[in-house]
Amino acid sequence: MSINLDQALQTFIVEAHELLQVMEQSLLQLETEPADQGAIGAIFRAAHTIKGSAGLFGLTPVVGFTHIVEDVLDRLRDGSVAVDATLIAVLLKCGDHMLELINVVASRGETLPPAALEREAALREALSRYQAPTHLPETVPQSIQTVDAGAGTSAELLWHISLRFGVEVFRNGMDPLSFLRYLETLGQITQVTTLTETIPALDSWDPESCYLGFEIDLRSTAGHATLNEVFDFVRDDCEVSIEAIHEASDRAVSVASEWDAQAEQGPLTASVQRLPAASEPKTRDGNYVRVNADKLDELINLVGELVIASAGASLLARSCHNDPLQEATSTVSGLVEEILDGALHLRMVPIGDTFNRFRRVVRDISQELGKDIELTISGAETEMDKTVVEKIGDPLMHLLRNAMDHGIESADARRAAGKAGKGHLSLNAYHDSGSIVIEIADDGNGLNRERILEKAQERGLVASGAVLSDQEIYNLIFEPGFSTAEAVTNLSGRGVGMDVVKRNITLLRGTVDLDSRPGQGTVVRIRLPLTLAIINGFLVGIDTSTYVIPLDMVQECIELDVHQRQSSRDQGYLDLRGEVLPLVDLREHFSHEGSAGRRQNVVVVRYAEHKAGLVVDDLLGEFQTVIKPLGKLFGALRGISGSTILGSGAVALILDIPALLNQIVQLEARTAQAPYSPTVVAR
Amino acid sequence: MAKNVLVVDDSSSVRQVVGIALKSAGYDVIEACDGRDALGKLTGQKVHLIISDVNMPNMDGITFVKEVKKLASYKFTPIIMLTTESQESKKAEGQAAGAKAWVVKPFQPAQMLAAVSKLILP
Repeated sequence: MSINLDQALQTFIVEAHELLQVMEQSLLQLETEPADQGAIGAIFRAAHTIKGSAGLFGLTPVVGFTHIVEDVLDRLRDGSVAVDATLIAVLLKCGDHMLELINVVASRGETLPPAALEREAALREALSRYQAPTHLPETVPQSIQTVDAGAGTSAELLWHISLRFGVEVFRNGMDPLSFLRYLETLGQITQVTTLTETIPALDSWDPESCYLGFEIDLRSTAGHATLNEVFDFVRDDCEVSIEAIHEASDRAVSVASEWDAQAEQGPLTASVQRLPAASEPKTRDGNYVRVNADKLDELINLVGELVIASAGASLLARSCHNDPLQEATSTVSGLVEEILDGALHLRMVPIGDTFNRFRRVVRDISQELGKDIELTISGAETEMDKTVVEKIGDPLMHLLRNAMDHGIESADARRAAGKAGKGHLSLNAYHDSGSIVIEIADDGNGLNRERILEKAQERGLVASGAVLSDQEIYNLIFEPGFSTAEAVTNLSGRGVGMDVVKRNITLLRGTVDLDSRPGQGTVVRIRLPLTLAIINGFLVGIDTSTYVIPLDMVQECIELDVHQRQSSRDQGYLDLRGEVLPLVDLREHFSHEGSAGRRQNVVVVRYAEHKAGLVVDDLLGEFQTVIKPLGKLFGALRGISGSTILGSGAVALILDIPALLNQIVQLEARTAQAPYSPTVVAR
Repeated sequence: MAKNVLVVDDSSSVRQVVGIALKSAGYDVIEACDGRDALGKLTGQKVHLIISDVNMPNMDGITFVKEVKKLASYKFTPIIMLTTESQESKKAEGQAAGAKAWVVKPFQPAQMLAAVSKLILP
């Protein structure tokens, strides 16, 4: 399509001259009446219009310079810059320079002479003093691009597009049919299925509402970004998912349906398209069987029993000293372990579906709050147990709401702080030493350290004069007694029911902590076990009792000889290759009677960033541990998270390492204040 | 019969560029220089799509969109807002008022045509 814009360019030049005239007059008027809002508005509009129109003709030099002028004028308009004689002088010179730019660049199609470029540099320098602090001068021409920019126009692919139009679509002036017709300009629609299930009965049918959904197969060379852009205008009240279909295997490759439109999309989609095989294969009829979740749970329960029974058989075989029998049971144990892995894997689902639900939530809430917030999702393919995924939705929602409501500032406040007006929120998931970590990060204002501490002291959560690290202070907002209505308003928000969030996560055997930087944002990190049913355990013995330590928290085991024992008992810590390792004597901790044997061992455990050594009598090796919850009676026990049945039929308690480490951390804090401490000293 | 597109912008060069692009694709174009002017152009003829700037003298784009939404005969008419990158909040405001589609300035004529053809055919 060739559109001749020469005539329009002439109009632009004439118009720009007129606008610059207006700008000059208004500036002069402003000089006499600095408070004249009408004049400020007119000046801004002039620069704004020139910039906008110049962009239409691709006059980059004009756009670039005018953008900075407009930026300063915008600040003048919202009152963050005051009118003064110097500024008016600068702006008048800017007007002259814009005139020159238009005459040279637009009329004659030439570049500026060096002298004029020097003048421009001086003006940019002068203007930069009025721009927002740390404001990076934007290179504007980023949006002067062709429609298809960023869209991988590689090979022809078969795309499957699922569309569910919202009821408001017609009232918003949108016609579903026109989007389908527009799709036809991008490729060949091979199949359209109209979904009419949501159409209500005739008596409750509102003719102005849209009840339609479409399943579309499109053969097109257009990339995901381009296809996604088609639905920009209906994204608010529509559900759209776009997937490339691998025809060879008839499997769909889920390409994360990126809801946010414009510029940022390029790199993401590009990377997705380059690595389609690495993406998660999505459900497509034929290759998958839908199974009732209850049946799966039942299966996993049975496998749990099988694991226990098989451990019992192995134990018996060993005591019989019958080699062939031992070999047979060991084969069975190996297979049982594989079955267990497989069974647990059946219940693993990617967290992506849960994450994607929040796109809509973020959009709605940000609109409600009048903030512009963008949500980025990463690690959507990270898998975790279905039961965990189901229960994590609410806490995540709570945290996201908080981040949007109280973390991210209004666009004006953000710009005033030198940040982009658009707030940024990210959800990320990844695996880390046997747990799954979900991060919710915002680039808002961060938490107010002093206010939290003050509030916590007021509520008696912290002794006055206590020395706490920033992290410890931030994590106070998860304390029960902390969240009160007063705290909500006083404390730039946070703390709204955060204890509930923590409680829910603790119920999932997870932990939550928080990191915040003033002015830069907050990160909440949720750490969850991969599964709730079975863990790889490490058995340790104290006296005649056996305890289980989750294996993925075990770092190493060290023998503790008699000399070390005495010195470390006195000091409460061990010198681990130059590192200070706090020790917990489990014999003492769980009040076992009698004294320890000649040899003792230290199991070094780690959880998140904390490390400690647990002093035990015997190391008994790995064990597939089927977790049996403790009864209500034992609910208040600290340091024990559950129980399991050993092959011998005996009961072993599972140690709650996070809770144990937490106790150490608290002790450390206390000993940091007191000169010495009784049993367990640290650092 | 060709569909009518009302182009509202205080910059005559923008109107001209949009006009040239739309006419080349087979639409009919009606021009208005601000919101007040545009409201007058809505009566007496059927307008099938509205393209409006935000920042205009007399009546700004947001107010104009709100006024249009009050008119029964334009209840289902799509509206495209011309926004700029520096005015993200205006986009949200426009969308809240009822202009669900947008084109970011500066745009190329082809971008405008793409946006229009998503909403109506010539």
